[in-house]
Amino acid sequence: MSVLDVRDLKKSFGKNHAVQGISFSVSAGEVFTIIGPNGAGKTTTLEMIEGLVTPDHGEILFGNLTWEKNSKTIKQMIGVQPQSSAMFDLLNPEENLDLFATFYDKARPTEEVLKLVNLTDHRKNHVKKLSGGQRQRLAIGLAMISDPDIIFLDEPTTGLDPQARRNIWDIILELKKLGKTIILTTHYMEEAEKLSDRVCIVDQGKIVTLDTPAALIAKLTEEREVRLAFIDGAAAAEEAEVFSQNIDSVVRTEREGSSLKLWSTNPEDTLYDLFGFTKEKNYKVEQVSIREMSLEDVFIAFTGKEWRD
Amino acid sequence: MRNVSQFKQMFLTQLKLTLREKQAWFWGIFFPVILMVIFMVIFTSGSDDEFSATVAIVNENPNPTSEMLLQQINQIPVLVIEGDGTVNREEADELVKEQDVHAAIVLPETEDVTTLLLLVNKENENGVTTQALSGMLDKFVQQANLYAVGASPTYELEIESITSGNMELSATDFLLTGMIALAIAQGGLFGMVDLVEMRRKGLIKRLRMTPANMNIFGLSDMIMRFVFSIIQIVLLSLIGVFIFGAKLYIDFPTLLVVFIVGALSFNALGYFFSSFSKTTEAYMGVANITSFLMMFLSGVFIPIETMPQWIQPVSNILPLTYFVEGLREAMVYSSSIFNASVWIGIGIMMLWGVIAYVLGSWFYKTKSIVETR
Repeated sequence: MSVLDVRDLKKSFGKNHAVQGISFSVSAGEVFTIIGPNGAGKTTTLEMIEGLVTPDHGEILFGNLTWEKNSKTIKQMIGVQPQSSAMFDLLNPEENLDLFATFYDKARPTEEVLKLVNLTDHRKNHVKKLSGGQRQRLAIGLAMISDPDIIFLDEPTTGLDPQARRNIWDIILELKKLGKTIILTTHYMEEAEKLSDRVCIVDQGKIVTLDTPAALIAKLTEEREVRLAFIDGAAAAEEAEVFSQNIDSVVRTEREGSSLKLWSTNPEDTLYDLFGFTKEKNYKVEQVSIREMSLEDVFIAFTGKEWRD
Repeated sequence: MRNVSQFKQMFLTQLKLTLREKQAWFWGIFFPVILMVIFMVIFTSGSDDEFSATVAIVNENPNPTSEMLLQQINQIPVLVIEGDGTVNREEADELVKEQDVHAAIVLPETEDVTTLLLLVNKENENGVTTQALSGMLDKFVQQANLYAVGASPTYELEIESITSGNMELSATDFLLTGMIALAIAQGGLFGMVDLVEMRRKGLIKRLRMTPANMNIFGLSDMIMRFVFSIIQIVLLSLIGVFIFGAKLYIDFPTLLVVFIVGALSFNALGYFFSSFSKTTEAYMGVANITSFLMMFLSGVFIPIETMPQWIQPVSNILPLTYFVEGLREAMVYSSSIFNASVWIGIGIMMLWGVIAYVLGSWFYKTKSIVETR
C-alpha cells in the first residue's frame, strides 16, 4: 500500500532548475532512499515533500492528504530529521524531547526515545556539548518523538566517523523493524545499499534509475572485475595480461606495475585459465580477488560520471 | 489544552535558555546597570550644587564709594573673592587671562566715577557664569542707583517651583526614569537577535516542520522578555533610589500599563527587525541605529523642550519619547491612570507595537521561512 505518492515534481531557484520532474511512490514499512551527489536535488525534493518548499509543479499525496488542504494532519503523521540537525543547544536532550513532545497530539515517552537513540547516558548534557554523532541521534529522536508512521531522514550520517555512522544505521534498521516508513537521503552508496528496500538515484534534478539495490546491480552487465597481484613483478604481470587477452570471456584488461585488473563475463573460468598459466610459468600470485558490482558501479553506468562523496 | 501545555513548555524553555545564556545576563542586566551608573555620575554630579563664581576685586584707589561697593559685594554669597582681598589692575588682567578667576570687578577709582567695570575672558564672554555674573552685577547696580536717589522698587520678582506631582523633579529622578525606559527599550530592540540566530541555525525551520504553534512560541518569548524587563526596572529603581538618592512617587496602575505596553512595543520592534535581518550583524546594525537615534531624541538625558525646534517633531513621533514620559508620569509625578496625556502616549506606543508586530509576522511568513534555499 502506497503511503506517499510524488508526481512530476519541479522546482527552480532562478536559473537553477533544482528538480526537473521527479515521480515515485513509497510503500508502507519501506526504506526508500534518494541518493545522488551534492547538488543533485535530493534535499529540495525532500523539502517539497516535507512541506517546507512549495513546488513549481507537481503533486504530493500522503494517502489522499495534500499539503494545501491537510497540512496540520500531515505534520502530525510525519517525523523529520533535517540536514542541519538544528535544536536548542542550551537545553539537554531530555529537555529538547520534552519540548517537541508538546507539539504533537500523541507522543512517545521521552525515556523510550532516549533509549532507542542510545542517549540515556547523555540525557542531562547540554546539546552544545554533544558529539556530531550524538547530535544526529538526538535529531532522529526528535523526528521520532511523535511515533510517526513516516520518517524523513536527510543525510543523517554526513560528516560522521564510521562508528557513529554505524550507530545511526542500527537505529534506522531498528525503526524498520518497528514497521516505520523511512525516506532517506544520502550520498553514501554503501549506506543506501545496506539500508534500503529501494533506491532512487538522482542526478541534476532527475531520477536516473529506481529499483531495489540488487535489481539495480543486476541491470548492469554481467562483467566482474578480477584482480591479481604478482610477487614476480611487472614482467610476470605483463605476460599474464597478454595471456588473458586471448581468453574469450575477458572483455578488457588494465595493468599497473605488478598488478593486473581484468573484466570477465565468466570470472571463475578466467581464474582457472590464469592459474594454469601461472603454474606453467612458475609465477607466484600473492593476491586474488573478484569484486562484486556495487551501487557505485550502477551510478557510473547510468550517468557516465565518477562518483564523488 | 494542548496550547496551554505547549505554552508552559515553551515558556520554560525560554526561561532556561535565558538563564543559561551568559550574554543575556550581561546585556540585559549588567550593561544597563553600568550604563545607568555612568550616566548618573556624569549628568548629575554637581548639578544640584548652588551656583558660585570666583572673582578678583580691583580697588586701586580706595574711596567711600568703592569701599561701600566692596562691602556690598562681599555680602553676595555666591561670589568667592580671589585671595580674600583686592588686587591691582595688572594682576586682575593676568588672573582673567589665565582663567584663574571667572571675572574681575574693577571698583570706581574716585567718588565721582559711576561705572563698575566687569573684566571677563574673551573666550568665556558668552559663558553661563559670565552671563550670571553680569546679570547679578546689573541688579546690584540698579539697587545702588535706587538707593542713591532714595527710591524703593515698585515691582519685585518672586520665583516659585511647582510640579504636577508631589515633589520637585531632580536631575537624578529625571535620569533614572529615562535610563529605566532606555534599558527596557534596548532589551526589546536588541533582545530579538536570538531569533535571527535561530533562523540562521535552521531552528525556526525545524520548528515549522512540526505542528508547533509559532504564535505561542513568539508569545512565550515575549513574556520571558517581559519578566526580564521587570527584573531590570526593579534593579535600576533600587540602585537609583538607594545609591543616587532618587525620590520616586509611584502610581502602580499607571506604571503597570505604561510598562506592559512599552515593553511589548519595543519587543515587537525587535521582532520586526529580526524578520528581515539575515545575519546577526545586520540585525545589530539596525537595532544600534534605532537605539542611538532614540536615545538622544527621546528626552532620556535632556528634556525635549530644550532641543532645537526643528528636531522636536521627530522626537514627538518616537515611541521612546512616550515611554520615557509615561514612566516619569507613573514613577515621579504619580499621575493617575485616568490622566488623558498618559493614554495618548500609551496609544502611540501601542500603534508602533501593533504595526511592528504585524509587519514582522508578515515578513516571517512570506520571506524568512519558505523559499529559504
